[in-house]
This record gives sequence, C-alpha cells and structure tokens, in this order.
Amino acid sequence: MPESSTWLHVRAAGLDLLLATRDLREVVAPLPVSAIPGGARGIQGVVMHQGEFLPVLAWDDLPGCGSPAGPVTALAVLRPRLGLPIERVVGTLGALPEPWQVPEDSESASAWSGGSGLLGDMELRLVDPDRLVALLRRLRADR
Amino acid sequence: MDQSFDDVWAECEDLFAQARQTLAVLKESPPAHVVQASVNALFRTTHTLKGMAGMLGYTSFSRAAHRMEDIFDLMRKGRLRSTDSLIETLEAGILALESGLAGIRRGRPEPDDYLHALRRELGELEALARPTEGGTQDLTSLLDLPPDTLKALSEYERTRVTALLLSGMPIHGVAVCLDFATFDERLRAYSEVLGAQGELLSTLPWDVPEDREGLAFLLMVACPAVDPASLPLLDGELLGVTLLADPARVPASLRNPEPEAPELPQAPAPASGPPPPPAAQAVEVEILRLPAHRVEALEARLMAVGQLRDAASLLMRQAKGLDRERPLALLGDMEEGLLEVQKSLLQMRMIKVDSVFSRIEPLVKGLSRDTGKPVKLTFLGGDLEVERSLLGRLSEPFLHLVRNALDHGLEPPSERVAQGKSEAGSLKISASQRGRNLRFDIRDDGRGFDLARIEARGIELGLLTKGQAHTPERLHRLTLEPGFSTQERASQLSGRGVGMDVVRAEIEALGGEVHLSSEPRRGSLIRLSIPLSRAVVSCLRVRCAGQMFGIPLNSVLRVQAGKEPLHGGDQVDVLGMSTPLESLQTCLGLPDPDGQKAFVVLTQPGAASRSVAIAIGVDEILGRGEVLLRSLPELAHSPGIMGGSLQEEGILWVLDPEAILGLAMNSLMRRVAHA
Repeated sequence: MPESSTWLHVRAAGLDLLLATRDLREVVAPLPVSAIPGGARGIQGVVMHQGEFLPVLAWDDLPGCGSPAGPVTALAVLRPRLGLPIERVVGTLGALPEPWQVPEDSESASAWSGGSGLLGDMELRLVDPDRLVALLRRLRADR
Repeated sequence: MDQSFDDVWAECEDLFAQARQTLAVLKESPPAHVVQASVNALFRTTHTLKGMAGMLGYTSFSRAAHRMEDIFDLMRKGRLRSTDSLIETLEAGILALESGLAGIRRGRPEPDDYLHALRRELGELEALARPTEGGTQDLTSLLDLPPDTLKALSEYERTRVTALLLSGMPIHGVAVCLDFATFDERLRAYSEVLGAQGELLSTLPWDVPEDREGLAFLLMVACPAVDPASLPLLDGELLGVTLLADPARVPASLRNPEPEAPELPQAPAPASGPPPPPAAQAVEVEILRLPAHRVEALEARLMAVGQLRDAASLLMRQAKGLDRERPLALLGDMEEGLLEVQKSLLQMRMIKVDSVFSRIEPLVKGLSRDTGKPVKLTFLGGDLEVERSLLGRLSEPFLHLVRNALDHGLEPPSERVAQGKSEAGSLKISASQRGRNLRFDIRDDGRGFDLARIEARGIELGLLTKGQAHTPERLHRLTLEPGFSTQERASQLSGRGVGMDVVRAEIEALGGEVHLSSEPRRGSLIRLSIPLSRAVVSCLRVRCAGQMFGIPLNSVLRVQAGKEPLHGGDQVDVLGMSTPLESLQTCLGLPDPDGQKAFVVLTQPGAASRSVAIAIGVDEILGRGEVLLRSLPELAHSPGIMGGSLQEEGILWVLDPEAILGLAMNSLMRRVAHA
C-alpha cells in the first residue's frame, strides 16, 4: 500500500487514474506540444513551462493504456518534470480504495502503475512516477 | 550562511580575480609605470583582503595577507625588483590565500600559516629588500620559523643571526620536549652541550606534540653542524634537529661587499618625452560586485524575462491570421527587445574559462618546482564562456586533477629521458563545446594508469573479484571510488585516496560525467563532460520537413544551393571536391524527402582542414541569427538535437553537429551496404 497522501482522481488515456498530490508540482492549462524530430516513444514532445522545456507523455505508447476519450483539458506536471495530458480532473480522494491490488508483473500496466482499487464499480489505477520514468528510459534506450 | 558573509565572499572572489589579472600583467614585462600601477593595485588588494579577514575574525588569514601586503609594499617602494621568480612566488602566495579562504568557506578549519610552503621564498625576498645602510640589516626572515616566533626574537638575537649568516655560519634548531618535573635542569644540560659546539643564540618556547605532556623548547645554535649523538638525550625525551637557515641562501647582493642597488620599478619622469601609448597603460576597470543572493535574484529575473518572451511568442503565434496588424507589430518589437534583455542578462552570468586556467598556471609552476618535474603546460579554449556558477564548482576538481597529473602521471626527468621522452612532461588542458556538453580534457604524456596495480588494490579492497577479467574501463573507473588509492603513503600533493571521488561527485552533481583513459608510458586523458543549460548560439537557420532547425555556425564549412534536386547518398561538388550528401530528415529518423534544394557542409568544430566533412541536405536556407538555446530534459533527449529555442514560428531545434555527422556517416554506410 503506498504511503498516505491525498490523491487526485483524473481521467486520461481512457482510464481513471490516481496521482499522489505529493508527486505533483502543479496542474496547468494545456499548452501546445511541439514534437521533437526523431523523438523517442513515450514522449509526444515538449511544452515550455516556467522557461524550460517540459516533456509531455504520450499515453498511447504506454502498455495498458487506451486512446483518449476526449480533448486534453489540463496538464499535470509531475515532480520528475514530466507533463501528463489529462482529459478531465474528477476530484480528490483522502484514501485509496480498499482492497488495494498491487499489480502483477504480468499485467501490462505494471510498467507504470503502482496498483489499483475499486471505487464502487469504477477501477482506479495509481500512476507511479518512478516506474513511469524507468519505463520511458527503457523506451528511449530501445529505439 | 549569513547574507553579510555572502557579500564578503563575493568581494573576496573579485579581489582575488583582480590580483590574478594584475599579476598576469606583471608577467608580461610591462613598462615601469605599468609595473608601478600594478604593484600599487596589488598592495591595495591585499590590504583590503587583510582588513576583511580581520573583520571576520580570521586572524591567520589576516596575518598572511599582511605579509603579502608587506612584499607589495617593498616592491612599490622600489626595494624589490619585479622578476619572474618574484611574480611566481607572489602568484603562489595569492593562490595559497585563495585556496585557504575557499577551504574556510567549505567549513574547513583555518590553517595556522597559509604561506607555510612559501616561507623560505618570502623570507629571502624580505631579506633582499632590507636596507643595507646603518647596520639595520636583518636576515632573520631567512630562518625557517613561524612568523610569530620570528617576531618574538630580540633585537640582539636579530643582530647576531644577521651577522652570523653574513659570515657564512649556518643556524640550526634543536627542538626538545622535556618532563615538567626536571625541565630546567635538563634544559641547562642541553644548553651547555650546544654552547660548547657553537654559539647558542636563543632558547624559544616550542609547541608540545599532541600526544605528549611536558614542556618543549627550540634551542637556536650557530655552528657548522650539530651532532645529535653528542646531545644528552634521556628516555622519554623527544629531540629533533633542523637547519633553520643556510648562509648559502643569503642573497648574493648582500654578500657582495659593494652590492648593486636593486633595480627599481620607476615611475615615468614627469613631462620627459612623449606620453606612453594608451595600450601600455594599466586599465582601470570598474567592477560591479554581485554577491550570491543578488545573482540568484538576477537569475530569477532572467527566468521571468524568458517566460515573458515565451508568452509574447505564443501570443503572436495564436494571433497570426487575425486582423491585428498593429498589436502584432508591437508584440514583435516587444519580443525582440525581451530577447536582447535576456541575452544581456545571460551574458552577465558568463565568464571565460581562462579565469580557471589562470589559477592553474601558478599551481603547476609551483608543483613543477617542488617535484623537480619540468612541465610544458598548454591551455586551449580559454575564450569559451560558461556560466560563472558552473566554473566556480569546477575549480576544485580541476586543481585536484592537475595535482594528480603532476604527482602520479608525469615521470621524473631521468625516467622520461631513459624512455626516449623529452625531459619536460606535457600537460594539456582544453575546453570545448561539444554538442550539448562542455568538454574539459586534461591530458598528460606520463606513465598512464598502472592498471595491474589498480586491479590488485581493487581485489584487496574487495571492490573486484579475484580471477575475473576486468576491462580497462572498469579499472580506470575504480580510481573514482571513495577512498581508493594505490599509493602506499600519501605524498604532499595527493595519494590520500580522497579527491577523485570528490571530482566525480562534483561533476555528477552538475549532471556530467568523468571519463578516464590511459596508455602505459604514453599518458592519460581525463575528460569531464558537463551539460550546458542555456547559452546564446550563433546559428544558420534552415527549414526541413516543415520544421525549423539551427546549425551552430562554428561547424558550418559552406552553404550551397543544389543545381538539381538532391538525394541522400548523392555526391556533391564542393569547391572541386566530391563530398557525400545525406538528408537531414534521414539523419533524424524522419521519412526521406523527395529531393532537396540546398545543402550545408558540416565538419567538427575546430577540426583540422583534413577532417571529415559531409553535406547535409535541407529544404531551405533561412539565414543566420543568434538564438537562446535551452537544453532538452533527459527524458526528451533525441539523437542529433542539442536543444531548442522558442521562436515566433514555433520551436527552432538546434542541431548537435557532431552527432549529426555521426548519424549521417552511419546512414551513408548503410546505403553503401544495401547498394
């Protein structure tokens, strides 16, 4: 079970996702993304954020992710300086739903997710920034 | 740290930089009036340093700065001549003060005597400058004693020391540590024996070794030699005999019965002859001092200006196509103005690499003298400008690597000659910009790393497994591990097993890396690569696949339009030379274009004329311009792209010419393989 925090419930890549607020720098309005010529999979491009380039995640390239269900309305900026395009901010949670499932290695989303739980009949999946960054580095190395 | 301390550190840094520059002027044998102005400036600088250190309670520093100030005072009064060896000593003195102060800033304790290593040289200088008339000559500064002890000598002792040294008699020190209960009786016994051997000049209180109890004394005796076996040493007593002053070191001009007056740096005679040309005059530069917290504030403003300009660019992009000509023109002006402000602010943070090189040179000279290893020192790329904060953090690693090169790398002259090498070792330090990195190379032609010894030591320390094969790269990198040293005992310069790991930690903290390589008996190369964060780069702007790219101009050999559509794998004629062409799209992994109209001939920056040149096909040449380069974060790294710059039309991607050459070469070889 991840350490206690508050959690931001968002919808992105056709999934309901949780982001630990301690992993977030901020949530900002979407900015035009510039694709990097010859850029690696997993990163759709960069935006200018606080005077520096911020890489923006390409959900499509991640295992276990679906296609976006709608236009991007926000950008969640993670502490490791990575922007996640968000379709909708749903709200916040004070605790993770129980029982909490740690992902099996065989699960495709285990490469970037820290686990999942059910809220009613809705499956919420936690984004683990460490796993996500490690996955992006692997994708870059594999190119 | 207290903000007032920040101000003082910043001012001290500036004062040291000024002192180095002024000493550099003196080394160029300038006209007498420039010498006078420079020495006056150095006198004022050390005086200010002394005052600031005293204010902060650093008494040893203050004392050492006072001693340097005295030397400059003697120079400006015309009692010391500006010679190469004098300037060398003064450079070493300033460096010692600067290093000592840097140590205090890092929390190290203050040394007792900052100028310990130069005590003898400074003593000689002081002796040389003493007035010769009226019997007021004083040679006590030749005694190898701490400044406080020298001050404690009486007038009589000074006179005797001077007279004895002038008569050619050496002066020895006999240090004894005696028991509390019997010290007076024992001291008398030593005094009697020494008095029988020569003239007992003085009995001075001395420091008791840390692990001992009792009282210690230094007996100063003038005699040809002290025979330790003749001294009445008892069990439990400590005894040490040293030569305090050698009459051979009395300056020749003082031993000469009719000494020549030292050559004085004279001020120009008033109204005699034409005034000196302006270029020869010492230039007074007003320096704006910015303490650390103000530099941080300035950097925050720099960031704000950058964001403002980005917002203007974005607004212009979004407003394009709408009927808003006038606001657009105003925004255009605003963006241009902000770019200029941004460039100026960025420029304020930049400093030439030469400022680090100027600190290394006196260090190398001093080490060369101390180790008896002549060194030919070469610097390259001193004009390269890098961020001041970055260079500040590089100074210590540099100094450490240079010490290592002299201590471990270069062989003694006899060993070099026996190997067929020149007597003087070579040490080359170069700085260059390679793609998104700054590169510093420290190259010597010494013995190289002893990999067998490193391997054995690695196994001994449990860092390597016995019986396994270890690559040269792994063995070289082992020297970067904390506490790793193959030296059985620490030398004065290095070999304590600390330092290389600190070098690595400092470079890695800057996001860079250290690479080591060597060849037995041919030398070593230590390469530090550090990523650039921001820089203003002069670029050739081109368009390709609908995107804008910038190619750093220092890599562009030629720009040429094609007579017919160009394709990857073609050979193009460049000034009568057939040159292979590859399209930029292909290099970047984009789909091949149908045909291109122009090409840019690229080569490695600063490369020799015979180095590889490849023509890179592009769709359109847009012109040249200066762009503010921002590096790409690690997750967004892409081969061939050094960084980007936000422009009115979107992001201009700045190419890494070295990487593009590599990508082009790979692609051309694949074409040949598949043909």
